[in-house]
Amino acid sequence: MTTTPLPPAPEGMLNVYVDGRLVHVRKGATVMDACKAAEQEVPHFCYHKRLSVAGNCRMCMVEIEGFPKPVASCHWPAAEGMKVRTDSETATTARKGTMEFLLINHPLDCPICDQGGECTLQDLSVAYGGDRSHFHEGKRAVDDKDIGAKIKTVMTRCIHCTRCIRFATEIAGVQEMGATGRGEAMQVGTYVESALTSELAGNMIDLCPVGALTNRPFAYTARPWELVGTDTIDVLDAVGGHIRLDARAGKVMRAVPRECDAINEEWMTDAARFSTDALSSNRLTAPQLRKGRGKGKLENTGWAEAFAAIKEAVRGVRKTRLAGLMDNLHSAEDGYAFRAFMQDALGSDNVDSRMAGNLVDSKSHAAGICNTPFKRWDDADAVLLVGCNPRLEAPLLNIRLRRVVKKGAPVFVVGEVADLTYPVTHLGDTAKELETLLDGKTAAAKALAKAERPLIVVGGAVLARPDGRAIVRAAGELAEKVAMTDSWNGFNVLHDTCGRITALDMAVHPAHGGMATAEILENWRENHVDVLFLYGDCDLTPADLAGGRGTLVYIGTHATPLAAMADVVLPAAAWSEKEGLFANAEGRVQATRAAVPPPLSAKEDWKIFRALSEQVGDKLPFDTLAQLRAAIAEFCPAYAPEAIGTILPAPWQGVGKKGKLTAKPLASSVGAYYLRTAHHRESAWMKTMQAEVAPVQEEAA
Amino acid sequence: MTKKLPKLKLEDKCFPNLDGAGDWGIKGYQKRGGYKGLKKLLQTAPAEHIDKLKKSALRGRGGAGFSTGMKWSFMPKPEQSGKPHYLVCNADEGEPGTCKDRDILRNDPHTLVEGMIVGCYTLGAKAGYIYVRGEYYDESSRLNQAIREAYDAGFLGKNIQGTGVDVDVYVHLGAGAYICGEETALLESLEGKKGQPRLKPPFPAGFGLYGCPTTINNVETIAQVPPVLKHPLDWWTRWGRENNHGTKIFSISGSVNNPCNVEAPMSIPLRELIDEYAGGVIGGWDNLQAIIPGGSSTPILTKELAEQAIMDFDGLKPLGSSLGTAAVVVMNKDVDVLRVMTRIAAFYKHESCGQCTPCREGVGWVYRLMHRLAEGKGTADELDQLYAITKKIEGRTICAFADGAMWPVQGTLRHFRELFEEKLRDGK
Repeated sequence: MTTTPLPPAPEGMLNVYVDGRLVHVRKGATVMDACKAAEQEVPHFCYHKRLSVAGNCRMCMVEIEGFPKPVASCHWPAAEGMKVRTDSETATTARKGTMEFLLINHPLDCPICDQGGECTLQDLSVAYGGDRSHFHEGKRAVDDKDIGAKIKTVMTRCIHCTRCIRFATEIAGVQEMGATGRGEAMQVGTYVESALTSELAGNMIDLCPVGALTNRPFAYTARPWELVGTDTIDVLDAVGGHIRLDARAGKVMRAVPRECDAINEEWMTDAARFSTDALSSNRLTAPQLRKGRGKGKLENTGWAEAFAAIKEAVRGVRKTRLAGLMDNLHSAEDGYAFRAFMQDALGSDNVDSRMAGNLVDSKSHAAGICNTPFKRWDDADAVLLVGCNPRLEAPLLNIRLRRVVKKGAPVFVVGEVADLTYPVTHLGDTAKELETLLDGKTAAAKALAKAERPLIVVGGAVLARPDGRAIVRAAGELAEKVAMTDSWNGFNVLHDTCGRITALDMAVHPAHGGMATAEILENWRENHVDVLFLYGDCDLTPADLAGGRGTLVYIGTHATPLAAMADVVLPAAAWSEKEGLFANAEGRVQATRAAVPPPLSAKEDWKIFRALSEQVGDKLPFDTLAQLRAAIAEFCPAYAPEAIGTILPAPWQGVGKKGKLTAKPLASSVGAYYLRTAHHRESAWMKTMQAEVAPVQEEAA
Repeated sequence: MTKKLPKLKLEDKCFPNLDGAGDWGIKGYQKRGGYKGLKKLLQTAPAEHIDKLKKSALRGRGGAGFSTGMKWSFMPKPEQSGKPHYLVCNADEGEPGTCKDRDILRNDPHTLVEGMIVGCYTLGAKAGYIYVRGEYYDESSRLNQAIREAYDAGFLGKNIQGTGVDVDVYVHLGAGAYICGEETALLESLEGKKGQPRLKPPFPAGFGLYGCPTTINNVETIAQVPPVLKHPLDWWTRWGRENNHGTKIFSISGSVNNPCNVEAPMSIPLRELIDEYAGGVIGGWDNLQAIIPGGSSTPILTKELAEQAIMDFDGLKPLGSSLGTAAVVVMNKDVDVLRVMTRIAAFYKHESCGQCTPCREGVGWVYRLMHRLAEGKGTADELDQLYAITKKIEGRTICAFADGAMWPVQGTLRHFRELFEEKLRDGK
């Protein structure tokens, strides 16, 4: 190799040779970083770029010239002029030695292991494993641990990399995983086998490099190579994390996260991961019509008959006596088509997608989104939560809040106090505290004023309060006062799902004096509404509709109690079965893709409304998805093809409406985390997981 | 035979009450000259102390033999670091065969207390921690009494002896893990975490206890600092060879007539040590089979090697062993060496912390294989395999534990392979 002195590396960089190739790495980089820069893959188990460095697997060893021993590259700092060899005899034998040690006590039960086919140990043993064993002693067996409904454990397979422990401690913020015992008797698990309480526990499944922790609901259902993956978006909360749905034979088998630094990093919520069973159970698969004497009975029918029945029902009815409600899981296409159907085809202005009581207008885009992009949440130096429990409402964002807390940012809470996995300062239960903060005299107010980048997060439930607009106004004023600079807007509203935000973008709310949700429901119950189009469950219970004798048309995916009350039922596609555009809380529009087709006779939602419009009124002016999307893009530029995946600037125009702040305590929009949307409530696994964390709530639900 | 070294007189010793004949309390200690000159030490510049320690060639008594003056010079200056500094005393004496710190703690605890005071001052630390192994409960009580006496006499606390130096010393009891004697595992344990060694770098001098600059030293090392600093340099350097100066406590056990802890000059020939201080090998020198010279993790010596052995850091290296903690375990011909060495391997299997792969998985394998071979079950090929496994573990781990666990196995295979082979022949 070279004997001439090295040319100096660029400012702040180091010259490092990897296998003879010169690379520049920043000062403070590790040897592994240098190997990566030189495109030399270093095998590893315990190292993970988003976790602290443990250095315990000893698989990533390399040889460094002048060092007497092989070095674990994941933690060793690179130095100027260092000569690293990843392919030398020393490095290779060290790795082979490690592999042998890992395998001697590993059960090698790959044929019955769910990790098989996507197992790091399996993959690396191809390169570094021996083809025969000279281990003739008894193998170690470890008792499996019951750590809850999410994760199946086969602890004999554990290689003690401690990724799960580090994830739980560092990222999820629950000190639940740990190791007991020492030496070869060391066992990973939860203390006294208690169930994990984190909303992010499922990520340990992805992190586990072997089959020790596997997806419990998915156990023994499919092999990874049988699955067809579809890259899509998690629309079940407002974050819109990137996920992949793995399907086999038209059925979604599991969901796993994809990497996206700006949104979900590489994590996924348990509510998304473990609720995929809802997509294939209790589905509406054919149109249904109530037939027979008296109240009659819902019977399967054809689309034509169902449409004819609706046509008959709306015939001659005054437009003010027609109404439509839409819930929070629908794409822009769905929402646009539904609103157009109600307003243009039927001519009714009584259409809403907001929760009962939510009167927040959507005129200002900035008023309904997180004006601080998620990635910049990491830069916050103070946090104010108003009626918001980010741990339950958006666990992926709670990870970022935890990170800023670790860096020293104080968190102030107005509203109910919950365990957010980090310490908070509780200012009070009611929105009146915002006035105190606006006065600027208290320590908390001063801390917020002193902070350069404070983050104010208003929870979705706040909007559904009678004083919602006043609270938003007060929070907005506070943000204007302390959290707005040219490069920072710290005002954030955290809705419950992407669909909620998308529906507001699609203006699915009453126009020209139409009725809002609460009014529609009241008028239905009092029989002032003759035909109600219920598009999804809309967080309603049968009691909310009791007394109405009009025609109830249910368009949805699942045979819920509300669907059972309907006179006509139209089966639609679930979020995993259609291509749709969804805005997340940042206002970033992303496209979902269809992982599987809709079941049996079910149809994509926009097609239903388009076809129905032709029957009952004016035909909607789109025949293809492309035409519909063009119309949507014209209606809302954020949904134009070129804007997909980006965040369009949202000009600040002030938010909310001046009003009196009441003394009613603020609460989070999410009570039972695992049952947070209609989709989750259809999942048997979600019910199990909810029961595990709160048996009492399960009874109530 | 060469001229024998003189036996140390009381005034030559750092631990005059090691045998416990006198009063361990502060009165006895002061009568023996303790705390005399402490005030002056606290008024001398720390740099001078470190310089003198470097010149004295005082090397770590915990087993690694690293120059104490050098180690102390790695600490940043308190005004540079802007953080509190700590001196941590490693009294987690767990190396099989070693029992020297125990006698210091129970018979001369004030030597350690005074060492902590001087050490803390020199390193810019206002607090010192003494991590005592959990099994030394009685010893820790005595140490605590000594500390209380020192507080009462104004040698600890605020403004010691009017010098403006503040030092507080705390005793922490471990929970019975050998690995907590590894300095970074000790820090983890002290912080209340699972006792597992940390990755190095960063080293404790930069990022130690609670992330602050920390120096960790053995009990004997810290206790020897005040005598070294108080006396003229040649009081210390007249003993021992170049770079191995001073006196040292040797713990002699096993097949000797008079097992003992004794403070003797460094560089004493091993045979002289056994004959002069431990009453000789049971059955005479010719009845000697093997000697472990420095605690269980140092490779075993045969009788022939033992005859050449000079007991200092540099004297044992050429013999493929090391001084370690200077715990000499003597085995005469009545001893089943393989059984002893297998038991030692079992000890290491039991004490591996389990953090990193080669040690967690390998040490148990080595023990089981060795156990089987020592019973004569196996093949001669497996002896080579046993050696190969130890080589796959050594030097591949986070801390030096696995090295220390493998050396005795390697030493046994090197010098006593024929014992294995004999067993294997018998076993057939």
